[in-house]
Amino acid sequence: MRTQPINRISEKGLKVWRLYGIMQSVVVLLLAIGGGIVTYINEGPWWIYAIAAVAIILFAYLFIVLFPKVRWMRWRYEVRESEIELQHGLFIVKRTLIPMVRVQHVDTTQGPILRKYDLAGITISTAATNHTIPALVTEEADELRSRISVLARVAEDDV
Amino acid sequence: MSEERYKLHWITAAIEVLKTAKEMVLPLILLVFAKGWSNPGSGKWYLDYLTFIIFSVLLILFFISGIIKWKRFEYWFEDDELRIEYGLFVKKKRYIPFDRIQSLDYTEGILHRPLKLVKVKVETAGSSSPKKSEAELTAITKDAAKRIEIEIAEAKSRRKAIPVEEGILHEGNHVVEEPQVKSIFTMSVKDLLILATTSGGIGIILSGAAIFLSQFADKIPFEWMYEEVSGFIKYGLLIVAIVVFIGFLIVWALSVAMTFLSYYGFSVSLEQQDIVITRGLLEKKRMTVPLNRVQSVRIIENPFRQLFGYAAVVIDSAGGGGAEGAKINLFPLVKKSDINGPLKEIFPDLILAEPKKKLPARGKRYYYRIDFIWMIPAISALTYFFFPYGLLSLFIVPIIVLFGLWQHRSAAYEISGNQLTMRFRGISLQTAYLMKKRIQSMEMKQNYFHKRKQVATLAASIKSGMGIFNAQVLHMEESEAESVLSWYEKNRSGQQ
Repeated sequence: MRTQPINRISEKGLKVWRLYGIMQSVVVLLLAIGGGIVTYINEGPWWIYAIAAVAIILFAYLFIVLFPKVRWMRWRYEVRESEIELQHGLFIVKRTLIPMVRVQHVDTTQGPILRKYDLAGITISTAATNHTIPALVTEEADELRSRISVLARVAEDDV
Repeated sequence: MSEERYKLHWITAAIEVLKTAKEMVLPLILLVFAKGWSNPGSGKWYLDYLTFIIFSVLLILFFISGIIKWKRFEYWFEDDELRIEYGLFVKKKRYIPFDRIQSLDYTEGILHRPLKLVKVKVETAGSSSPKKSEAELTAITKDAAKRIEIEIAEAKSRRKAIPVEEGILHEGNHVVEEPQVKSIFTMSVKDLLILATTSGGIGIILSGAAIFLSQFADKIPFEWMYEEVSGFIKYGLLIVAIVVFIGFLIVWALSVAMTFLSYYGFSVSLEQQDIVITRGLLEKKRMTVPLNRVQSVRIIENPFRQLFGYAAVVIDSAGGGGAEGAKINLFPLVKKSDINGPLKEIFPDLILAEPKKKLPARGKRYYYRIDFIWMIPAISALTYFFFPYGLLSLFIVPIIVLFGLWQHRSAAYEISGNQLTMRFRGISLQTAYLMKKRIQSMEMKQNYFHKRKQVATLAASIKSGMGIFNAQVLHMEESEAESVLSWYEKNRSGQQ
């Protein structure tokens, strides 16, 4: 059994994901309200409201509580001298191995929400694939980015 | 250093115009059909023919711009660079260092051949746009093309004298004047016929015909045809059979014609460190793939060809642009038993043994179980709405299950030294030979059910042109997948 990668992403990442979940839930809620109004005008049966309500509650529970939690628990990464290992995935757990020699460049990205929480995402690109670690404390992300770029430069390149 | 500036051959202007004209043909046809001659004339001739007038004006404009473009296009060699200057309104300059040039690909179109000209595409490692090559010289004489080649080779050998920190692409490129050409593979007419017969081309033509017919569906007098047909069937099944047969014959002939057009005279040869592929009947193409840009070798057998012991070999190249540069048909059709010889000649390090490690039996279910997600609703809906006959859809279940089992049985993998061999089936059976140092990243995927039965899916990503090719063995033994990952992570590529 391979051991899991050591590092976890920032706990604030969980908050951000919950925030995304809340936003999505609000959109769904608005849709449901719209549907409710249409039903009311057309004098639709009562159970339509019931179904809509259950759907919203379920959606909110999954996208605000459960999914972010599972995703966050699952997300692990480890940057070793000669490779980077990632583990993530909600239903399907993916474990990715990227040798340092294959790393072409590293980016950090930060949207407005991530910036508010002082987080940043870090994207590792090889010649063919891109891999993103979604939420690290900005300082940590910057430090990791420069570490990877140093390690990648040291690693012998033969592509 | 000669700084003489060269021009393209004047036929370039004609080719440019024809190319734009060709792109205009389809809109023109559409316009004719849309507006058509069906609506009555408005009395004013210039309104009736407005579309045609616009198009002819456009055509003349294109003609003039084609000539100007040709006039403005210049290329020359300076400071170990190929320099190009071009542009209709905005003058653009492009300098390509010889070091960065991976290959020159030649195409001889119908217009090129009588004048002994070639179109040269300059390919570099990373093209600025994924669709186009770095530079394209639409028509130059063969001597001029030779001159570019010599110019590049000289510059590279000059470089070779001074050790460069950047890895030199062509090692062993000492002999510049006399490139050793070794012919590896050619296709006979018989091979081409088999290729045409077993390729998917037939399907494409059939679906093309179907689309064409559906476009004109309202124009075809179906009712009249039904009467005709019912009368026709009375003549007997024999005639129907003959007509169907002739239909298939025509489709087959079209497929053969298409295959001949693009694959006639197919040959692969090895020139020092480059694979050179030439092909084409009317339009001769010559493509060069440097050996060290090859990312993977794949043997693909579609079920039909597998039955007769035939296979195709494709390679993924890192160079070149987009989809076309990515997957290259190395041997479009070859007897399975004859693959090893020529392939070994090109890639001596490749281990071509059949992958022996099979998948565990407990992984079988995952190959078809997921399909029940769509099968159950589909079958229930069909049964509900078309009651007795809908039940026939139940037959899909054993088909899907058997297909899944077939995929499971086909899959295999093997690690031999620095090489990973993965075999998997979509519909066609693919065997991918991947060198460790060409694998960009690897991934192991497991869902909850996988974990319970200790199986996992293993995927390796390969660079192919500008994109990715994913080789993927589904639902294999978990511990084995892990050991492949450790193989990938240990003793890094540089070392062994």
